[in-house]
Amino acid sequence: MNAIHIRGATKVFNPGKSSQVEALADIDLAVEPGEFITLIGPSGCGKSTLLRLISSLALPTTGSVEVNGKPAEQARLDRDYGMAFQTSGLFDWRTVAKNIELPLELMGWSKADRRRRSSEMLELVKLGDFAKHHPSELSGGMQQRVAIARALAFSPSILLMDEPFGALDEMTREHMQDELLRIWRDTGTTLVFVTHSIPEAVYLSTRVVVMSPRPGRIAAVIDVGLGDRQASTRDDPAFFSKVTEVRAALREVEG
Amino acid sequence: MNSLKGFSAPIVAGVALFGLWEGVLSVFSSDGFVLPPPSEIAGAFIDNWDAVFRGARITGFVVVSGLAAGVILGVLAALLVTRFRTANETITPLAVAVNAIPIIALAPIFNNWFGLTSPRSNQAIVVALVFFPIFINTARGLTQVDRSQIELMESYAAGRARTTREVRVPNAMPFFFTALKLATSLAVIAAIVAEYFGGRQDALGPMITQSAGLTRYDDAWAAVLAGTAIGAVLYASVAVLERWAMPWHSLIRSHREET
Ligand SMILES: Nc1ncnc2c1ncn2[C@@H]1O[C@H](COP(=O)(O)OP(=O)(O)OP(=O)(O)O)[C@@H](O)[C@H]1O
Ligand SMILES: [Mg+2]
Repeated sequence: MNAIHIRGATKVFNPGKSSQVEALADIDLAVEPGEFITLIGPSGCGKSTLLRLISSLALPTTGSVEVNGKPAEQARLDRDYGMAFQTSGLFDWRTVAKNIELPLELMGWSKADRRRRSSEMLELVKLGDFAKHHPSELSGGMQQRVAIARALAFSPSILLMDEPFGALDEMTREHMQDELLRIWRDTGTTLVFVTHSIPEAVYLSTRVVVMSPRPGRIAAVIDVGLGDRQASTRDDPAFFSKVTEVRAALREVEG
Repeated sequence: MNSLKGFSAPIVAGVALFGLWEGVLSVFSSDGFVLPPPSEIAGAFIDNWDAVFRGARITGFVVVSGLAAGVILGVLAALLVTRFRTANETITPLAVAVNAIPIIALAPIFNNWFGLTSPRSNQAIVVALVFFPIFINTARGLTQVDRSQIELMESYAAGRARTTREVRVPNAMPFFFTALKLATSLAVIAAIVAEYFGGRQDALGPMITQSAGLTRYDDAWAAVLAGTAIGAVLYASVAVLERWAMPWHSLIRSHREET
């Protein structure tokens, strides 16, 4: 059974109006459980829209999306998804710890369990001292780390992340990449990740999906196959040749 | 203390204003009728303490009860229009149309409905005047929500009521309190002006018109002072309530001021 199976999906916004946008066309994609898929492509090519279809926050105009063997809508109701968005989407009125505990509250965890998990997650994203702060007291990068901790808090079977590391500095970014890979390996989560960074896509994923714009299509799917990542992977010639391959595919779609 | 710092500046400014007022009038002394110096107003305030206090209690009741009813109705209507599209399509245009009526001008008409000496008509004016800013601002706060926050709640399969409580209501709080502060001064103005036309004759409004009619301007000003006190107490209470209800918000503001 596929973790995610998209068949002939298209998405048209505002059909029939002058503002009509054909955001996605002919999307076919099957993702195995435990895969790490990265979507990459020019701005506006429909990456966020594709994530919304997978999470059933938007319905495909035609075609179907199945997640864990059931319709995406059902998977959402079963709380199979953890999400981190392009903007952190934190709640200013909750402390950092309470933001992370929000999904746990909705799922009926006990207070003690929530406390324990939120402090674990804060340690993970290296914000242990900020549990009682409010998001507005944190830098943009720190806020994004809280959002990631929130997405991971309840160990969802599918993680959808839309450019979560965009606001981070290079060092934090590499650290978060390694942490995300560790969590992914430890939990067996299926991950769909959107990024604009080619090296990030290659470093993180098992497969890179290159998308072309207007309407968004899957232009190429590149198997990365670099095995277990280590500090040395970033300097590995095999890593660079994959970066070159993805770059060439992107050049092609951007014409 | 931060909160003390917030209150001390207006107090200093107020003392300076009254000092200037007193000083200017003592140099360019007019006959002291139309604009008496603060010392005479204070004198009249103390001399007429019983009447002023009774008037302040009556007017204060009209203000507070009207304010409370207007706020409750405004918030309920805002919740209704954010929850139901049809409610939004019927109530909102109606509210906008009704809001175009200069409500205070209805005071004499309301007196006709409720009886010339009944405070009900004054309360009704206050309710009507308070309702609109509360309704419109709260509705805006409930709907102008960060899209990713709503999508996040959807991705957790949270119900509509839960999303309203976790996202929409806290998001609407700053909008609501801004409107509530505006509404306190509106309520005092509305009550006193409405009282010019009817209601209980020992309220602050009639006290002002009657004293002014008898050219006893210091008494009129004493009643105005009492009305000012009602407004100031209400405003300060709302400010305290706001800090208590939204501790995170003063934090955002102080950060913005620093940068
Ligand atoms: N709710 C919407 N209503 C109308 N059009 C939309 C909506 N959401 C997205 N679009 C359009 O769909 C297209 C794809 O948008 P999308 O946000 O998926 O792009 P993206 O690949 O995520 O871009 P970026 O890299 O800049 O985030 C764009 O042309 C956008 O204008
Ligand atoms: Mg996007």
